[in-house]
Amino acid sequence: MFGDYAALIVLLPVLAFVLTLFLGKKLYSGGALLPIAAIAGSFIISFGTFLEIYPDKTIQQSLSWFAGMNIGILIDPLAVVMLMMVSFVSLLIHIYAVGYMAHDPAKPRYFAETSLFTAAMLGVILSDNILQFFIAWELVGLCSYLLIGFWYHKPSAAAAAKKAFLVTRVGDVLFLAGIVLLYFNMSEVVSSRAFSLEPGSFILQFKSMFAAIPHIPPGQLTLITLLFFGGAVGKSGQFPLHGWLPDAMEGPTTVSALIHAATMVTAGVYLVARTFPMFVAAPNSLLVVAYIGGFTALFAATMGLVMNDIKRVLAYSTVSQLGYMMLGLGAAGMAIGAGAVGISMFHLISHAFFKALMFLCAGSVIHAVGTNDIREMGGLFGKMKITAITMIIAALALAGIGIPLVNFGIPFSIGTSGFFSKDAIIEGAFAYGEQTGDLIPYVFAILAALLTSIYIFRLWFMTFTGTPRSERHAHESPNVMTRPLIILAVFALFFGYTQSGFYGYVDKNFELMGVEMAVHEGEAVPPSIIIVFMPVIVGVLGFLISYYIYYQRKLDVSKFITSENPVYKLLINRYYEPKLASDIIGVKLTHNVVAQSGEFVDRKIIDGLIIDNIIGRTAFKLGEVMRRLQTGVVQNYAAVIILGIGLLVILLMLGGV
Amino acid sequence: MAGFISLMILIPLIGAIITFLTRTREQARAVAFLTSGISLVISLVLFMRFDSSSSQVQFQELYPWISSLGINLKFGLDGIGMPLVLLSTIVIPLTIIFAWGETKQANQFYGLILLELVGVLGVFTSLDFFVFYIFWEIVLIPMYFLISIWGGPRKDYAAIKFFIYTHVASLVMLLAIFSLFFNAWQLTGTPSFDMFTLLKNYQVIDSPLLKDAIFLALLFGFIVKMPAVPFHTWLPDAHVEAPTAGSVILAALLLKMGGYGLFRVILPLLPYSGSPGYLVTLMAIIGVVSILYGTFLALAQRDLKKMVAYSSISHMGYVTLGAAALIPLSVSGAMYQQFSHGLITCVLFMSCGVIQHGAGTRIIGDLGGIAKHMPKLAFLMLAGFLASLGLPGMSGFIAEFLILINSYFTLPTFVILALFGIVFTAGYHLWAMQRAVFGTYNEKLGHIHDIATYEMVSMAILVLLVIYFGLNPNPVLNMMTTNAKQLVEFVSLKGVIT
Repeated sequence: MFGDYAALIVLLPVLAFVLTLFLGKKLYSGGALLPIAAIAGSFIISFGTFLEIYPDKTIQQSLSWFAGMNIGILIDPLAVVMLMMVSFVSLLIHIYAVGYMAHDPAKPRYFAETSLFTAAMLGVILSDNILQFFIAWELVGLCSYLLIGFWYHKPSAAAAAKKAFLVTRVGDVLFLAGIVLLYFNMSEVVSSRAFSLEPGSFILQFKSMFAAIPHIPPGQLTLITLLFFGGAVGKSGQFPLHGWLPDAMEGPTTVSALIHAATMVTAGVYLVARTFPMFVAAPNSLLVVAYIGGFTALFAATMGLVMNDIKRVLAYSTVSQLGYMMLGLGAAGMAIGAGAVGISMFHLISHAFFKALMFLCAGSVIHAVGTNDIREMGGLFGKMKITAITMIIAALALAGIGIPLVNFGIPFSIGTSGFFSKDAIIEGAFAYGEQTGDLIPYVFAILAALLTSIYIFRLWFMTFTGTPRSERHAHESPNVMTRPLIILAVFALFFGYTQSGFYGYVDKNFELMGVEMAVHEGEAVPPSIIIVFMPVIVGVLGFLISYYIYYQRKLDVSKFITSENPVYKLLINRYYEPKLASDIIGVKLTHNVVAQSGEFVDRKIIDGLIIDNIIGRTAFKLGEVMRRLQTGVVQNYAAVIILGIGLLVILLMLGGV
Repeated sequence: MAGFISLMILIPLIGAIITFLTRTREQARAVAFLTSGISLVISLVLFMRFDSSSSQVQFQELYPWISSLGINLKFGLDGIGMPLVLLSTIVIPLTIIFAWGETKQANQFYGLILLELVGVLGVFTSLDFFVFYIFWEIVLIPMYFLISIWGGPRKDYAAIKFFIYTHVASLVMLLAIFSLFFNAWQLTGTPSFDMFTLLKNYQVIDSPLLKDAIFLALLFGFIVKMPAVPFHTWLPDAHVEAPTAGSVILAALLLKMGGYGLFRVILPLLPYSGSPGYLVTLMAIIGVVSILYGTFLALAQRDLKKMVAYSSISHMGYVTLGAAALIPLSVSGAMYQQFSHGLITCVLFMSCGVIQHGAGTRIIGDLGGIAKHMPKLAFLMLAGFLASLGLPGMSGFIAEFLILINSYFTLPTFVILALFGIVFTAGYHLWAMQRAVFGTYNEKLGHIHDIATYEMVSMAILVLLVIYFGLNPNPVLNMMTTNAKQLVEFVSLKGVIT
């Protein structure tokens, strides 16, 4: 019954967008209740659909669109878990925003745009074909542009919005190129009669794509998947297209929470997961995914260590965690095949809960103290107990703290959601290393785990402990903001226990679509106890280091934080990526060199020299003559026609009639 | 339906005459709006009755004119012409609404706009080459006056340049038309300017050199109008000086005449030309160079309107590329690009006009933060800019997507180059928005006022149409595809492409 109304999952928030935009001004809290109701509706339908299709059904609806393309809905295990997470987290963020945005005069625009943002992301998730996926994906990009630039009168916000759109656009173009190449190969395959589309199915549908995999040349498949991954690199902020995400902090904190948890950056990971059968058939691409993911996890974590803006630390944390998800898909994909999707998606969802929680906690703190700089905070624990406690829960989840009791014959382990989800990825990377001898991705993952733990507890200690470093009288946020924190904290703590059920359900995903994937049997040997404990060990170690430095303050780090320290300089300048992207590539190379020399050629050579000076002088004289002919309005009209007819007569005569 | 096409052309012509004779601007704009509105209604009726599954000419009308030379007033519509007729009759009434506040010589102003409608409708419906050429030239004259009377500081230079440049191109085209005419006359023994007859008889010309010369002369005539690099330099000058209504008509309708020529004349000749392989490559190069060149030049501009002018060159490059690829859906994608660009570019030029009017300048660096005082304009302008940079859900995406995925079959390298331009296309649009519209308000601008209601209505309708045709391209796209298929089948018979 719910499944029949699956289209409403997207359409309700779209409707809320239109209504809030135009009528929000007249409604309570800028019309916030409309998107809240709509997204609640999306969540209810998603959840109802889940109950209907669990454990082994899917929903497929499709309509013909234009030029052989279609629009349609595919709800399979992969999609439905995402739908539930996105609508649920987005709902909580919207409720929280009623408090957080209470004093902003542009609330209708805010709630309209976040509603569209959610709709676009939901549209990405339930697309049954790659074109519609791309369209919704681009609309996600649009909404991020609008929301990062929400306070458009701030020059930094306008710049950050543009950067987000353009950097992700680089990825989008690669994605589009992948679609071009895919369409070409699909058409070739169909026209060579090696493969025919099932009746009622369309050329760019996922099921058609998967069915055609064996017929597409492997080289082309590698290229297509790499281009798709290029899109994912842009959207999910992977190296080298990661720079927009930390800058995206210019929007309201609730927008950051949406971007980082629910509605944007996970789209890239989802793209790889969605087209995973193609990646499995192109192992070279999986290797690239693993390396880029692993490297990004570590690379971003190094910058997270030195940032002083609370949201920026969290932003690098997101980049790093997305790296883990990519690593999970790539490395575990090579080690165990299709099961990697479950592993990675599980981390995606558990991360969504605790990262949304972190941003909302950060928002609560910023709301209270009026600054983003953790150096100016401190000692907030006593004043903001709920925020502080929920934040430490999120931090424990991010650091992956837990005890793997299951290895001691006890039927369950104890731990935060991140403990279950992140460890599975690290073990996947290890399994890949064991099979191939390539332990580099695993080393990336472990080092990143250590740094993760250090930077997140540094943030917590600096914010909530010690002596207050500003005059502000901080106070706990209102209930409308703290209740969502508590709900998310519950998920951050306990979501991990759904692990085996989750894997069992999502692993069936591609089977249900009738896709056969190469099965790798790599799980037979359970990893040694040291490997199992390694992530927890580095997590605790990181905590202790931060505790020692930032709580007990036994080590004064200020002597390292100077512009003379090249490492610090490199990190605080973010490896000079902003300078490179905006200044060198954007302004200097593209605008000053290429565009301006084009302008010179156009104005001075093509137009100035050839047209004006050589041809133009003659033409201008001709023009003077003609202008003399044209003195009045109606007469002109007649004159030119007569001129034309005269010319015609002459030509006719010359033609020898 | 007989007589509907000539009625659709005649009514604005009569309207133009009446408008010239009116004494007040209220009368002038009312007559202009009413008569162009009637044309719109007629074109909508034709559009509804149009059979999208047939590639044949529909609603054909034939009135003898100069029988001794075989010149007839022959009108008709197929999937190539119908969408552009619809576009023209949509754009002109909306332009009149947008220019509702015009005070300077209003009767002439609105009258000339109506004459533009007469001209473009004639071009898109004439099936007699001679009559086609007359309409082709008629279009120039009102535009010349729109620029030279209502234009900016360098209006004389721009108007003359526009006139001479495009007129020379027309003359070159005229020579080719006469060659075709005499060739067919020699063969059949009876003179005729019937377009299809002339095109059909092109294939029996003996000399490959003459064939190529005719082909290139026609191609030159059309791509100057589009305009394609390197024959584009008249366009930025004309736009910078033209009044907003003139720019809108120029970009939305006049440029489309060039693209129309590609489908109506160039593609049917292509397989029989002396060296089809080279000519296809030439067109593809022109297309992709225009795309990239227009993009980078747009990035370099300081004047918002000049930037939009260069963006037109870039977008029209897609039309040439899609046509050159000779795949049914790339060709219909190219036709769709014409239709879509016609709608989108109106919003862009109207935005420039509103800014010029409200803030007194269009120089991007002198603006800044105008969204603060012009929120409605900022909203509509952003919608237009997003459409122009190819945002999905808007009409431009459908066109460019179709061109890119289908052209890859025959012109893979060119498609990759075109893809390369997409990031920079987004770049110049958003960079201009960032500097001109967002950020801190430039207090030097003083007090500026937001968009007038009639301007807003006109732009909002256009934005809604852009979204509608971005979500539901079929009503227009299907008829294009029918004719594109027929064109490509015709071309493939000769084995230009495999």
